[in-house]
Amino acid sequence: MVTPEVQWIAIFPELILALGAAAVLLVEVQWKPRIGRLGLIAVFTVLLAFGFTILQWAQAEDALRVGLTGDLVGFSGMILMDGFAVFGRFVLISIMGLGLLAGWRFIESLGRRGAEAIALVLLATTGFSIMVASNNLVMMFLGLEVGSIALYVLAGMTRDKTRSDEAAMKYFLLGSFASAIFIYGVALLYAGTGEFEILAIRGFFRDVIVTRPAVILIGMGLVIVGLGFKVSAAPFHTWAPDVYQGAPAGITGYMASMAKIAGFVAIARILITGLPQFDQSWVPVLAGIAAVSMLIGSVVALVQNDIRRLLAYSGIAHAGFIMTGVVGGATKGMLFYVTVYAIQLVGAFAIVAAVSGSDSSASDIDEYRGLAKRSPVLAVSFAVLLLGMAGLPLTSGFVAKFAVFTEAWAGGYAWLVVMGLLMSVVTFGFYMRVIVVMFMDEAKDEQVAVSATVRWAVGIATVGTVLLGIVPEPLLRMAANAFSL
Amino acid sequence: MLTWLIVVPVVAAIVVVMVPSKREEIHLPLGITLSVLPLALAAYIFYVFEPIAGFQFTENAVWYEPWGISWSLGLDGISMPMVLLTTLLVPIALGASTGIKTRRKEFVANTLLLEAGMIGVFLATDLFLFFVFFEVILVPMYFIIGIWGSDGRKYAAMKFFLYTAFGSALMLAGIIALALTHADQYGSPSFSLADLMSLELSQGDERWLFAAFALAFAIKVPLFPFHTWLPDAHTEAPTAGSVLLAGVLLKLGTYGLLRYNLGLFPEASVDAVWIMGTLAVVGIVYGAVVAVVQPDLKKLVAYSSVSHLGFIVLGTFALTSGGLQGAVIQNVNHGLTTGALFLLVGMIYERRHTKQISEFGGLQKVMPIYAGFFLFMVFASIGLPGLNGFVGEFLVLIGSYTTLPVLTVIAASGVILAAIYLLWAYERVFTGVPEKEENKILSDLSPREIGLLAPLAILVVVLGLYPNVLLDKIAPSTERVLDHIEATTGYEVPEPGRLGDVFVAKGEN
Repeated sequence: MVTPEVQWIAIFPELILALGAAAVLLVEVQWKPRIGRLGLIAVFTVLLAFGFTILQWAQAEDALRVGLTGDLVGFSGMILMDGFAVFGRFVLISIMGLGLLAGWRFIESLGRRGAEAIALVLLATTGFSIMVASNNLVMMFLGLEVGSIALYVLAGMTRDKTRSDEAAMKYFLLGSFASAIFIYGVALLYAGTGEFEILAIRGFFRDVIVTRPAVILIGMGLVIVGLGFKVSAAPFHTWAPDVYQGAPAGITGYMASMAKIAGFVAIARILITGLPQFDQSWVPVLAGIAAVSMLIGSVVALVQNDIRRLLAYSGIAHAGFIMTGVVGGATKGMLFYVTVYAIQLVGAFAIVAAVSGSDSSASDIDEYRGLAKRSPVLAVSFAVLLLGMAGLPLTSGFVAKFAVFTEAWAGGYAWLVVMGLLMSVVTFGFYMRVIVVMFMDEAKDEQVAVSATVRWAVGIATVGTVLLGIVPEPLLRMAANAFSL
Repeated sequence: MLTWLIVVPVVAAIVVVMVPSKREEIHLPLGITLSVLPLALAAYIFYVFEPIAGFQFTENAVWYEPWGISWSLGLDGISMPMVLLTTLLVPIALGASTGIKTRRKEFVANTLLLEAGMIGVFLATDLFLFFVFFEVILVPMYFIIGIWGSDGRKYAAMKFFLYTAFGSALMLAGIIALALTHADQYGSPSFSLADLMSLELSQGDERWLFAAFALAFAIKVPLFPFHTWLPDAHTEAPTAGSVLLAGVLLKLGTYGLLRYNLGLFPEASVDAVWIMGTLAVVGIVYGAVVAVVQPDLKKLVAYSSVSHLGFIVLGTFALTSGGLQGAVIQNVNHGLTTGALFLLVGMIYERRHTKQISEFGGLQKVMPIYAGFFLFMVFASIGLPGLNGFVGEFLVLIGSYTTLPVLTVIAASGVILAAIYLLWAYERVFTGVPEKEENKILSDLSPREIGLLAPLAILVVVLGLYPNVLLDKIAPSTERVLDHIEATTGYEVPEPGRLGDVFVAKGEN
């Protein structure tokens, strides 16, 4: 009997996250402590997982330096520890930390069920973390499902609200449909190549010339559709506004960014690493998806009156912008963009939760009237985050857009870049509308209560947005070093 | 030293924000005091500025190596007058803002940040950096119009923002294309102006790049037919906003055309002379004709800007010594006179809360000092010999007559039209006997207001009588632009073009 090869270091972050989730649940059952204690476990888990990610990063860079990149494949080819995977984990875990901070008030408000929410957050991150690190497509599917199912439940966390139920149901039905499409695509890729492993698939096409690639092309298309759904790219975006609007605001930012980060890393991994020979086929498709996403997202966002729907549609537009980076065939801009957008999104939803309530209640744009007078710091932060999303220079959003557009232009997709730039102007339109309401309209009387955790989350997101806009070099260098095997 | 010009206003803004909101009376005086620092610095730089062609006081620090972007600043004869003008107008604009009662702290901070951004645009010698500043200044200006403007302010602010953002989006595409072309030809991308000026562009590429840049700047200037945001923005903006908008922000467009379009795309510029010249002349005549019929004093001055800026663009694309020198000096002149006119309109608006010309009449009797200043600035704006406007317009007309005679003749009619609409407005507002009761009790200018107008008036006379104080330092740089065009294209400036300037500058090479 052959014992499977086990490299524990390869999955330490995921292991710790999963154990952390279990610990939270068990401690809750046994001692029913104050929620703060459970929070401490979560913080400890995040820090530990983060520490191991840094370790893995150092390992990946060492391996690259001495040329022993074969060492970075673990579990008989299931899990990768290349820079790409580690960067993805790094971002996922950081965003989870920020997301927990931003959603803490919501978790507290759940009472005894707060433990479930914490555990689900940890589990979702575990799943997506496996997804970004997997070399095997089935493994990737497993990660995707672990993460997605945790998110479906999180979306319905405030189950006494119909809107939350509706969001969870919609997310679940459409999400599992998309997962099914994804796995069907994986099956067809297997049928065409006889391989599940991305690196092996690449090797297969290097050695074999496929004369009739129809099965492979269909498989590839289905994979793109499935992942396109996860990152809410048009035309697979219809779930996003309802889910963003119905899910508890305290946690929506986290949910949305997780799916986007993992989805884009997976898209890049499968297409750029696994199927580079077929770029004649997938690049135009992605370019089309990017164009449609930017167009639909930014134009429809113009007429939204609910901040969360507005952010949802803007998220569709951003899926298009990020996709532009993948079209260029490079990953640096895409990774940078995903990271800074996730930070902005979590920060923005933390503010939405503070102003409109952290549960599933509506967040009409009217509630933000005169926010600059009621809570100047919050209003300025929101403005910075929104301008960051719009891509104003000196914010991280500008550097991100610049990076992806440069890559797409270098890849020969000038028309997509011009369209992206014009759509960026349209996004200014609706982000500015929110700023107008906050700064130029008469104030309402309601005061805004901001908890310390939200203040921290918003502070970190805002400072990060500005800092990464002025000094983008460290993160850009990291993204550039995040090689894929 | 140039970095300080940008840093000082930013620090000043932070200092102002630090002062608690309750101490309302402090913010404005503090802001004015702090904004004198950049002015002093700029004045010192003007004093030590050498009349040579290249960039001076250059600074260079790598920002992000793989993209080839850097914090590069430099000052030459084209940007130096603009920096001086900016630093001069900011304290004056702040000084004119005592009428702003709400959220003063934010107002002062926004104005100072705007100053930092505007100076940055003029100093940047790296296209990435230039774009950053070019785009960032939209935000403080947007807030200045949108928060402290009059009734239609939100609409005007949004229109201003989206129009200009739209223009710069295509320019960004152009900048990316240029940097990547550099990567193709020299192995690594670069955004440095000097590097990009040496690119070999195919005719097609050069033409569309020219168009992308020209569109961004044409919207900013604004050239006809992209001018529709301007009257809205001006009418709604508070006085300080209007002064800075007309005085400096519009100049970003004319400055950009001169620095970037002529510098980066000489071949396309030579080909586009007729198109740009025609648009400029249409703007001159159209702006003037529309200004004649404006019932609103502020709108009248706004449309006069459209007309006057047409001269600057015409001079730029005349591609002669006189035209370019005239364009640069007219940038300054227009900033001084139109800035002053907006200040004057603001002063009467504070007293009467209306800008309708028909509401006034006979103010000469009640407010003689005010009327005196107004008439003086009207004359400067029309281009009365001995005042600054004459120098600029004369240089432009003489310079462009060599290359674009027909257009120049039409453009000259703009001078006459200017006399019509400005003097007619003066007549309706100031002459006769005051009939309305409200007008009879108006108070004349206070010492503070005279203090704001006096420096502008003095400069109007100085530049009118002895323009060489600036022209000497401008000329080498504008000559360099022409040298570059002649060196890189087959174009030669027709004969009197490089000799026929009346104010032949010393230091010309």
